[in-house]
Amino acid sequence: MGPEFRRNLWLELTPRRVVFMVGFLALVFFASAVSGPSYTPYSAAETIYYLIVVIWGARNAGLSIVGEIRDHTWDLQRLSSIGAGEMTWGKLFGSTIYNWFGGAICLAVMLVYGFTHGTAVSAIFDLVYYVIVGLVAQASALLASLVAIRRRSAHSRLDVFLYQLVGIVAALGVFYMWQAADPASALLFGKKSTDIINWWGAVISARPFLLISLVLFTAWILTGCYREMRRELKMRNGPLVWLGFLVFIGLYVAGFDAWLPHDDAMVQWNTVALRLALAASAYGVLTYVMVLLEPKDRVLYRWYGSQIASGAVGRALWSLQAWIMSYVATVIVAIALIWWLFAQHAGAWYPALTVAGLGFLTRDVAIFVFFAATRRRGDFAAIVALIALYVLIPAILDGVGVKAALPFLYPTPSNPIWVGPVIVWGEAIVAVVAAVSRVALDEKRAA
Amino acid sequence: MIEVRDLVYEYPTKRALEGVSLSMPAQTIVALVGPNGAGKTTLLRCLAALEPPYSGTVTIDGLDTREHPREIHARLGYLPDFYGLYDELTVRRCLTYAAWSHGLAVEAVDAAVTKAAGRVGLSDRMDTKAGELSRGLRQRLGIGQAIVHEPKVLLLDEPAAGLDPQARRDLSTLLTSLRDAGMTLVVSSHILAELEDYCSEMIIIENGRIVGGRPIKVKDVERPRYVIEIATARADFAQFLKDAGVDVVEVDEHHALITFTRNAATRAKLLRDLVTAGFEVSSFGESSKALEETYFSQIGKGAA
Repeated sequence: MGPEFRRNLWLELTPRRVVFMVGFLALVFFASAVSGPSYTPYSAAETIYYLIVVIWGARNAGLSIVGEIRDHTWDLQRLSSIGAGEMTWGKLFGSTIYNWFGGAICLAVMLVYGFTHGTAVSAIFDLVYYVIVGLVAQASALLASLVAIRRRSAHSRLDVFLYQLVGIVAALGVFYMWQAADPASALLFGKKSTDIINWWGAVISARPFLLISLVLFTAWILTGCYREMRRELKMRNGPLVWLGFLVFIGLYVAGFDAWLPHDDAMVQWNTVALRLALAASAYGVLTYVMVLLEPKDRVLYRWYGSQIASGAVGRALWSLQAWIMSYVATVIVAIALIWWLFAQHAGAWYPALTVAGLGFLTRDVAIFVFFAATRRRGDFAAIVALIALYVLIPAILDGVGVKAALPFLYPTPSNPIWVGPVIVWGEAIVAVVAAVSRVALDEKRAA
Repeated sequence: MIEVRDLVYEYPTKRALEGVSLSMPAQTIVALVGPNGAGKTTLLRCLAALEPPYSGTVTIDGLDTREHPREIHARLGYLPDFYGLYDELTVRRCLTYAAWSHGLAVEAVDAAVTKAAGRVGLSDRMDTKAGELSRGLRQRLGIGQAIVHEPKVLLLDEPAAGLDPQARRDLSTLLTSLRDAGMTLVVSSHILAELEDYCSEMIIIENGRIVGGRPIKVKDVERPRYVIEIATARADFAQFLKDAGVDVVEVDEHHALITFTRNAATRAKLLRDLVTAGFEVSSFGESSKALEETYFSQIGKGAA
């Protein structure tokens, strides 16, 4: 038992609070047992579990580090000898130990009900699901707070609420995924649930597949918490874990090619191209997510430059930010896709669109870096700029009848077909030069 | 114990430290002084391996902060300017948690807690909650948490801020005893008179650079500074002191600031010689403002 977990035990699991929780839950279950068949102890336990473990637990997890920062005790902890793993688990499970205590009582009630009213396998599946949904909510909130503290020094109640919200949204995702594989449910946005999943051409029973997927994604979220904690404790994170995640997510997403609509346009694609396109899209989305989340640290970028200039390329590569690695992965897979499409004589339409897509991605990340180097709320300014580029200006051009310019603003075929990609890459180069100049310019000023 | 070479630290819009180099020997207390925003706290955080240098190196006990931050953390005690305590925990539990978190062996924790509490004078308040302590006692508890693992280096950022005169005196005694116990201390403070009591060297930081380029010796334990005042002006005052083999820092016809041995008999002889030579000595005492005088003589001169 690590010191951080033990400290949390002192603070969270006091005898008075334990007695209160046991008494409160006993009262709830007794009330539900005597109130009639419409509200059973099982449904009461399920509702209380979501309230205590998911909603309240996400708040406690999101507050576990932010509270330390607000109380000026975080530096004391960062300077301790507590390892990153001990600190992560101590925060995650220590700050939520009271929630898990109440949740465990609820789980016990649900487990007894599950064994007596269903099969043992179903009861165990449900148990694993409930533990995962709680863990995902809390770990996501903790991860959100860890990511956020790299970006700002003030931490308001609104911030904590946002971290809690991230946890709740993640739990909702788990909830809907689980419902999607429940034959008795039709909850997935009004669509029918399914009991089979086609993945990498194999037909797999939905519940075990989803359960394994949830376990894997939970493991990745916990890994994310651990690595962000390492960063907080000033330990260096190499690129290998993020590269491993990229490989995992690429392979995982690429397996869902059978889920894409097979309309006339898609007929020209074959399975390999679809899988490459899925992986490239996943990497592109990750690039956008990470460039938004990670601090666009000018000092770090200058440091990259100084290391590369002094020949220490390996040192710079070892410290690459996740969005840069995701961007490079997108480029590599997209080039493979373009090569494959040409090899399959799929015509110029899809390759041109892919080249244009890469150009837009390059331009957009450069816009994020440029604005981050220019102003304090750079991300907000970058998002506004992208909304203007992708929504407002196209709407105006479309409205005044200049549709020929639309391929320069979002990925759509141009005529001639390669004009669009060329113009887009022109935009990208301008954006990259502006971003690099801005970072370099500030270096001269600082010196 | 602490070596800093060409340290540069940058915030996104400002270079906070520019080419800082310094060396601090073991078992000394060094004052870190300078105007607000000069870079004192940034330098302390770099020394604590909480901020990685943009360029240059910081080594503590032979370990580079960039390469071995966690090993350095284990060797450090750090009390930030704004520090917090776990108000709901008792003094005993606060110190016990600090001992655990610094990796002390289970069997050594109780002894370490007792020793730290004794050092900071909290032995009689072990079961008082931290939230119920006065400001001075909270300061002691903060230092107690920072020293419970017997660090080699102790960094203190404004430790005397808000303390009453008695608490400052106690702090001074505590820091001196920690130095005597083998620790190397770096103390950042605005209160120069308080630093005077226990610091032997001073680092003045201005605009991210060390004024003069190196630590300034402000107090020689063996040869402190003394002020001599004579009631009637004498033009030969300086020459007399020179002939007597005294190191004169400043002198005019009424006053002299000298460095001289701490040995009482030798000082008594100098005083006797002065009186015998007809100097009307009205005051002969250890200078209480050496650090302040040095600070104001250096600040604003620009950085090296």
